[in-house]
Amino acid sequence: MLFNRRKTSLGKTFQSGEIIVKQYDPPGSMFIILEGRVEIWVDDGGKEPFLVAVLEKDNVFGGISLYDNSPRISTARALGVVRVLSVNKRGFLQWLGEDPTFALRILLKMSERIRTLIAQLVSLRREVRELRQKVARIR
Amino acid sequence: MELEPHSRVAIIGGGPAGSMTAYFLMDLARRIDLEIEVDLFEPRDFSLTGPPGCNMCGGVISESLVQKLAISGIHLPNDVLMDTIDAYTLHTDQSHVRIRAASEEMRIACIFRGGGPKGAETQKPLPWQAFDHYLLELARQHGINRIPKRVKKLDWDGDRPRVSWGEGEMRTYDLLVGAVGLNGSGMSMFEELNFGYRPPKYAKSYIAELYFGSREVEQRLGKSMHIFLLNIPRLKFLALTPKGPYATLVVLGDEIDKAMLEQIFRAPEMVGCLPPGWQIPVQTCQCQPRIHIGPPRHPFADRIVMVGDCSSSRLFKDGIGAAYKLAKACAYTAVVHGISKKAFQRYFAPACRELDYDNLLGRVMFFMDDHMRPFSSIQETLIECIRQEQNDPASPGKLSNAMWDTFSGSASYRTILANTASPRVIHHFLTTFFRRLLA
Ligand SMILES: Cc1cc2nc3c(=O)[nH]c(=O)nc-3n(C[C@H](O)[C@H](O)[C@H](O)COP(=O)(O)OP(=O)(O)OC[C@H]3O[C@@H](n4cnc5c(N)ncnc54)[C@H](O)[C@@H]3O)c2cc1C
Repeated sequence: MLFNRRKTSLGKTFQSGEIIVKQYDPPGSMFIILEGRVEIWVDDGGKEPFLVAVLEKDNVFGGISLYDNSPRISTARALGVVRVLSVNKRGFLQWLGEDPTFALRILLKMSERIRTLIAQLVSLRREVRELRQKVARIR
Repeated sequence: MELEPHSRVAIIGGGPAGSMTAYFLMDLARRIDLEIEVDLFEPRDFSLTGPPGCNMCGGVISESLVQKLAISGIHLPNDVLMDTIDAYTLHTDQSHVRIRAASEEMRIACIFRGGGPKGAETQKPLPWQAFDHYLLELARQHGINRIPKRVKKLDWDGDRPRVSWGEGEMRTYDLLVGAVGLNGSGMSMFEELNFGYRPPKYAKSYIAELYFGSREVEQRLGKSMHIFLLNIPRLKFLALTPKGPYATLVVLGDEIDKAMLEQIFRAPEMVGCLPPGWQIPVQTCQCQPRIHIGPPRHPFADRIVMVGDCSSSRLFKDGIGAAYKLAKACAYTAVVHGISKKAFQRYFAPACRELDYDNLLGRVMFFMDDHMRPFSSIQETLIECIRQEQNDPASPGKLSNAMWDTFSGSASYRTILANTASPRVIHHFLTTFFRRLLA
């Protein structure tokens, strides 16, 4: 008798570099990272898209289009092998109503992200200021 | 009456309800910088095989519970998954139909509640981990203190609950959480505390782990749970779930006995799911756990609250989901609103009531099923309607979805009834019924 389990896992696996969601795509599910890391890229019409965040296990992405029902605002790409679980849209909104701690968890994740984004903004402004000063000096 | 810094909480029982309550208590308390001490009493060693290491159940976790757990930070690791399934196969006495998941990712988790079926201990180490073991470890990682002892007695120390265990050890707590399940004598200790608690109603059930070997399980069952609506007297529910090399048999009914089991294993649709020439083994891992069928009375008071099976649960499905719901409501109430009867009445009781009321609808559905079974034409019409939905990619698949939700426990009975009672579904059913009659 051999006692093995079926090689199986939950969610969906993406190989390194694979796109999980694409900017401008219609809104859809939200995702939870079960394993691996995910890069979030934004295309602002410049030469190349830029990296805004690298998210780790237990983080949530794709949530914004769930709240405002607008197209995806960024592209999520697998950094290494990634396993994500998609969360049913209607279910999620229903659960938010039933369970205040859901909203709390999502808020916490979002505030972590806002914190990093603000830090990025601050350093960007500093860079711009320094560049301006340099340009002024050259002039 | 609130939890204060260094308040002590005792949780009696480390099944899903106890471990999840512990996890959510620690998680929420940390968020508001409240340091509390949580002792969790659980004598069972969930790495043991057979009944001593197991909180006997069918071990099916719906896709929506998988998602809710993940959002709550509980990610089922791969070694907890014995299998995942993406379909249900509904069998009647004469035919069957397969209901596929609406999307590829709607996968249901199949788990063992203990170290594995009796007999598997011959292989070391085993490649899996019990679901209950994982949850208890998760709670431990969040800072609870697990005491591997059976609680012997509960009483009052002034207005606070006191817990006794081992050789005369005892401790007084600010909050006592009962998560003792239905099996064993845990519930009577709480009754004796005289706060009005009366245990829920329960019935006996039967579970057996049938060893087929992985190849046969794959071939006979595939990635599907098999539900049998057979016209066998006293039989209410029968299912076969793939779990690696095992098929878990769950039987609900009145007075499940040897004769009923023999009848089950002779049913042609069941025989089709068994390996050729398969016989009921003499020694198989089997148990007769109690299943929740009615609400408890007064499941809380000042400084006391009951969660999981010894409180409110869901009728015949999703017991772990119900335990999750109450565990969360209990932790949220205790950390945010306090531990008085009033706080539990206001913030915990609604979660219990929702389960209790929904079960009333569930009871109506089971009653209808019970009385329709002898009329095979109704059942066959149902199978035919589902088959048509499954073969038509454009169909919204309302009946299929309702069946999916009924078996997986993904949705409440209320949602299921609302979905099936649509004019479209009824029209489809009636036209199919009369067409079959005329043919
Ligand atoms: C036949 C059957 C099939 C089922 N199938 C499913 C299914 O597929 N999916 C699903 O979600 N649910 C299913 N359930 C329901 C599920 O088993 C329960 O809802 C779930 O186990 C409840 O968890 P709990 O923590 O409340 O209780 P339990 O899991 O019973 O845990 C109670 C714990 O308390 C401990 N305990 C008891 N007394 C003491 C004491 N004095 N001191 C210390 N510890 C103590 C016990 O050791 C035990 O570990 C099924 C139930 C049955 C009967």
